Amino acid sequence: MKNLERFGFPAFIIVMAILPNLLNSRWQAVAITFLIFTVVALSQDIILGKAGMFNMGQALFFGMGAYITAILNSQYGWPLLATIPVAILLPALFGILLSGPIIHLRGDYLLVVTIGFNIVFVQVVQNNLGGITGGPNGIFGLDSISLFGMQLTSQLSVYYFAFAVLLLTLGIMHNLEKSKVGRALHYLREDQLAAESIGINTRVYKIFAFGLGAGIAGLAGTVFATQYSAVSPEAFEFIQSVLFFSIVLVGGSSIPGILLGVFMMFVLPEIFREFATWRFFIFGFAMILAMILRPRGIWPASFGKIPKFLIKESNHGA
Amino acid sequence: MDIFLQQLANGLTIGSIFALVALGYTMVYGVMKLINFAHGDMVAASAFVGLTIYTQVMGQATSLFAVIAIFFLAAAVMACVGIMLERLAYRPLREAPRLSAVVSALGASLMIQNGIMLIWGPQMRIFPELIPQVYWDINGVVISLIQVIILALSVTLMIALYLFVEKTRMGAAIRASAIDQDAARLMGINVNKVIALIFIIGSSLGAVGGLFIGLYYRGITFNMGWQYGLYAFIAAILGGIGNIPGAMLGGMMLGLFQAFIAGYVSSTWADAFTFILLILILIVRPTGLLGERVAEKV
Amino acid sequence: MAHNELILTDVTKRFGGLTAVDALSFKVKPGQIYGIIGPNGAGKTTVFNCITGIYKSEEGSVNWSGEEIRGLTPYQIVDRGIVRTFQTIRLFSQMSVAENIMSGRHIKSKQSWWHGIIHTPASRRDELENWQKVEEQLDFFQLTEFAATPTGSLPYGIQRRVEMARAMAVDPTLLILDEPAAGLNDNETLVLLDTIFKIRDKGVTVLLIEHDMDMVMEVTDYLTVINFGKKIAEGTPADIQNNPAVIEAYLGSEDDDE
Ligand SMILES: Nc1ncnc2c1ncn2[C@@H]1O[C@H](COP(=O)(O)OP(=O)(O)OP(=O)(O)O)[C@@H](O)[C@H]1O
Ligand SMILES: [Mg+2]
Repeated sequence: MKNLERFGFPAFIIVMAILPNLLNSRWQAVAITFLIFTVVALSQDIILGKAGMFNMGQALFFGMGAYITAILNSQYGWPLLATIPVAILLPALFGILLSGPIIHLRGDYLLVVTIGFNIVFVQVVQNNLGGITGGPNGIFGLDSISLFGMQLTSQLSVYYFAFAVLLLTLGIMHNLEKSKVGRALHYLREDQLAAESIGINTRVYKIFAFGLGAGIAGLAGTVFATQYSAVSPEAFEFIQSVLFFSIVLVGGSSIPGILLGVFMMFVLPEIFREFATWRFFIFGFAMILAMILRPRGIWPASFGKIPKFLIKESNHGA
Repeated sequence: MDIFLQQLANGLTIGSIFALVALGYTMVYGVMKLINFAHGDMVAASAFVGLTIYTQVMGQATSLFAVIAIFFLAAAVMACVGIMLERLAYRPLREAPRLSAVVSALGASLMIQNGIMLIWGPQMRIFPELIPQVYWDINGVVISLIQVIILALSVTLMIALYLFVEKTRMGAAIRASAIDQDAARLMGINVNKVIALIFIIGSSLGAVGGLFIGLYYRGITFNMGWQYGLYAFIAAILGGIGNIPGAMLGGMMLGLFQAFIAGYVSSTWADAFTFILLILILIVRPTGLLGERVAEKV
Repeated sequence: MAHNELILTDVTKRFGGLTAVDALSFKVKPGQIYGIIGPNGAGKTTVFNCITGIYKSEEGSVNWSGEEIRGLTPYQIVDRGIVRTFQTIRLFSQMSVAENIMSGRHIKSKQSWWHGIIHTPASRRDELENWQKVEEQLDFFQLTEFAATPTGSLPYGIQRRVEMARAMAVDPTLLILDEPAAGLNDNETLVLLDTIFKIRDKGVTVLLIEHDMDMVMEVTDYLTVINFGKKIAEGTPADIQNNPAVIEAYLGSEDDDE
């Protein structure tokens, strides 16, 4: 298991770096989708897996990032990459403001309220509030990425954009695990009262988790808008949130588990296209089966990430 | 004034449907502490099952007897599905982490919803006109026979359920299991039986709700379960989840609220307003209107 | 107004019709090992919950170092140097012993929220320093060999030690222990006694609940006895041992248990 993590991870990075050069355009698109949805699932993992908050509205922040990029690009002529800071910060701010008043709610209540946020968001963009979201059709005809004055129109450049975002996200997750905040999230998930009694202001850290998760999802939204040169409401429906929620839990809230989950939910259906109508029926069945066979997920997250100098031989330590 | 009375009548009709469906959520939650996400899809399935019974079994008859038979058969079918659901998707996860059961419930929801699509197709189907289109115009307020039947039947069922839970031995077993499953087991209550009973009652009431949706709105689609399920679930939470009178109160309240939003504002914003209502109530009363606050003992 | 002194005055906590703590007053002086005893359900744990902010007492005052702390949240109270353990052990059971102890370093760590996203040399140093503090606690409580073991899989006696180590990692001024000897065997109890003395020698005031009479007599400097939420006696262990009211209430009720 440990070895698999040590060698599997660099191997994965290398494969993903080379991969698009071996694929035709259709499979490149699938690979980009895989990268984007992995980032969203990881952002959901910060809220749901790490901090243990029942959030079922992650598609809201993803969609918000995508819409921000699309609106700033199509209406105000911002270059796509220049929209990134706004597409991160505004969803993060929303995550903080929305979670603030509801963060104390018991698990299932939180779940329903976050579903509500997602549904309200979709209704807002569908009803074309403020006349800038393009209603049910969404917004299309975005520019392509430009970097140092070069137009990067190829799908390959979108791939590497998505790949860079994934690496950034993995880096953040790595840093989070080895920090005071990251541990605080684990503590409050395991036992909120014990966490408070050891000095942790759980409310602050819960809101932090929402802000960070929302910001990363927003960034993934930018990549999504770039890939399709368009955004539309149905890509951010509540069913998407259900899928991200399930991926994290079926995967077991670990990075390999989440990669596996995204692969099953978004790549396998592309391979078995002839079964498209059966897609969700099979997912449903797989979700039940996975939980019955492995209630903690296919690849449960492991703890014990402590510095090596603390681990001593038992005879030496005593 | 006309709009007010008209929307009052409409609101009571949809409110009683919400309440019937909400009861299924609240009873399961009360005993198992689980959101049965599949419940809404079972409600939708019931409308389709009713449609098939009407065309295949009843030979499209609309006699009183046929209508009653459709209700009983559809409720029986859905009760069986409910028991199967509990046995296959939830019972194996009773000791598992809570979120595992939530994912299983979501999986069951996807399966049932898409099962409907695979059997009856993705397009909208029209529910038969089982009840004659009779309308009364009272000073400009139009009330249909269907509305009267829905309201009367729902209220009757709810009173019956209330009496059953409060006055019978089985009802006492349900209440005991909701308070503390382990203690109930020690007192000799067969909790498995209670849970099966809850799924039978909840699914049958949901089935009636599904048929009402068919009768009232006529157009039925395979994915309508999420919409109605979500509303009913919100109703259960508004009333205080786990609380049976709370579900009835929450359902009626939500029905009226939505009707007035549709009447005075616009139905395109119904969802947004519904969730704003929910969030406001939860901020003021985190356990719903009739839910009890429980202090954690340390 | 004395420094590091805990003074409860007429603290009353009700649960519905039940008065779990009834106008209770006592004073813990710095450097003491102070005991609270009383029969089952006397309200001992509830007093601790009122001190540590888990409950807010309806009436009375909880004064710490001259500051009113009634109504503060648990984490604010930890910030003021008061840390507790629980009667029913509450560890982060999926996490390792070292990570559990590290949670005690939370308020001492100087990392900001954004260090969770990007590390700096200062945050790395802070991280290392705090893990070194964890190492000290592992040594002090003889937990080194379990550093990487998830606490949920450890025997009860060791879990109790982990919980104390976690509390001590905060560098508290006042350590509150809720029945630290419950569930321990004789040998473990002896080690615990020794540990409590060592903690006091570090300058930490200790307030503890205990059922085991022999242990209370041995370890505490001063005692308050409560029954039905009310104080029925206070004094040194020797005073208490001869107090007829205590023998009546406390020992009498133990007879009832049997
Ligand atoms: N959250 C609560 N809600 C209702 N009653 C409570 C609560 N917490 C404690 N009580 C009641 O208050 C009384 C005192 O309880 P407490 O736990 O403080 O007793 P204790 O002295 O610690 O007993 P023990 O020796 O058994 O630990 C008991 O009757 C208990 O049932
Ligand atoms: Mg106690």
